[in-house]
Amino acid sequence: MALQVRERSMPNGVILEIAGDLTYANREQFKTAVESVRQRGFRHLVLDMSDVRFIDSSGLGLLALVAQQFKLTQGRLSLLKPQAYVREIMALANIPSLIPVYENERDALAAYGKAA
Amino acid sequence: MKSSCPQTDPIGRPGTVEEIVAEEPPTVLIVDDDSVARLAMAGRIKRLGYRVLEAGDGLSGLAVLRRERPELTILDWMMPDLDGPSFCEEVRQDSSIGSSQILMMTSNDHPEHIAEGLARGADDFLSKAASRQEIIARVQAGIRTAMLIRRLEQVTNELRDKQALLDQELQSAARYVESLLPVPGTVLPGVELAHLYRPSLALGGDLYNVVRCGDDSVGLHLLDASGHGVSSALRSAALAMFLREDSLLRYVGSRDPGAIVTEANRLFPLTERGDYFTILIARLDLRFQRLLYATAGHSGACIHRRSGAVEWFTPSSLPLGFDSSHLYRTVEIPFQSGDRLYVLSDGLYEVPDSTGELWGKERLATAFQKTADRTLKDVLSFVVDEAARWSGQDCFPDDVAVVGIELKA
Repeated sequence: MALQVRERSMPNGVILEIAGDLTYANREQFKTAVESVRQRGFRHLVLDMSDVRFIDSSGLGLLALVAQQFKLTQGRLSLLKPQAYVREIMALANIPSLIPVYENERDALAAYGKAA
Repeated sequence: MKSSCPQTDPIGRPGTVEEIVAEEPPTVLIVDDDSVARLAMAGRIKRLGYRVLEAGDGLSGLAVLRRERPELTILDWMMPDLDGPSFCEEVRQDSSIGSSQILMMTSNDHPEHIAEGLARGADDFLSKAASRQEIIARVQAGIRTAMLIRRLEQVTNELRDKQALLDQELQSAARYVESLLPVPGTVLPGVELAHLYRPSLALGGDLYNVVRCGDDSVGLHLLDASGHGVSSALRSAALAMFLREDSLLRYVGSRDPGAIVTEANRLFPLTERGDYFTILIARLDLRFQRLLYATAGHSGACIHRRSGAVEWFTPSSLPLGFDSSHLYRTVEIPFQSGDRLYVLSDGLYEVPDSTGELWGKERLATAFQKTADRTLKDVLSFVVDEAARWSGQDCFPDDVAVVGIELKA
């Protein structure tokens, strides 16, 4: 399934709503969307994962890469509401130890408020 | 650069295929048993700047077409021996000339007649009563099509040649990767090794090795590169070089699996495309009948106990490169006579059936439990066949590697 990305703004950063599969086949589209956020100087990014059905090993690598990129610029990446299956795959790769995962937008934004 | 249509004409559209470089002017073959009509047509075509060949009957026309491969053939319908439509059928059945452009001339321009000619292989029609302008326009249209088809054939051939070269290179690289794999059999007295490798492409990103370390210990690693193909295989080969015994002694100074994975994590960061490895490194200590292992995100390993139980390794560790400061720890478990260790890439158990349901570790464990009486080598073939049966396909979507080690009772 193809990937669709919608952007919303938040204080100090951007929320990207991702819909579809975060996989090897869709990696360029995902990278382009994230790169556009970074190019505009936003330091904080929330990936709304609630409409991501599937993530493969390449998708996990992309999440780790984006987390590292934002950390380098004293920014932060966090994930919002992943579905059960995606959450399970991410847990196997220990992603939550690298990237904070939130259950609702209010908590995610509150965390950024503190970080900012 | 020459145009395919050397002489400008108000009817034609010279230069519309200007990107086609023609060394010589295009050739037009005229096949007509009526010598007067043929000569008249030849004169007209020559005045357009084209090279003209002539044939007085269908059979000799076919011979000229095969020999000269003209861009366009203007063909009379009514001829003795081999008439126009039969000529077209001969051409279309011969793959070496099948794409030739044929413009059929006829004095009968009834729709049924034209339909029959097209059905039997003509590309276009020209009435014998056609005006000079129409003749020029149809000849030029035929030449344009011929030039585009020639270009397409040329590009197709170039692509085929390049693909053949790439395939050769990939095969050569695949043979090199296979040369890095261990020799099956007895690694140390009482320690049997078997393995099986099925890359999803010619060149895989999974690699493994088993080496003897002194008289009482065996080292093993299996690495799985994310992604597929050439870049995965190159990265895997680089990591495999790092994992060689001499390199480990120099860079890590220890055979401790946790220390090796920690150093590999430092040396192999995520690539700019987000590519990484999962890896399992293990050491079988025969003296104390124990297995020491560390993993970076690799969960495909289990022990099939002599008692029949299958115990999966349950690592919860980051893949290589996710966090450069991460420390990987060594886990110790007993490994006794009659136990079998299986280390495998996730391509084996994450294989989907036609509905998308994955085969999974539980089914794989059940398959292992059916194999107590089989030799180690047979076990590997059996589980790979079971996975293939689940998927309903012979080839796997991801690389599949399985390594088995048995401590003989």
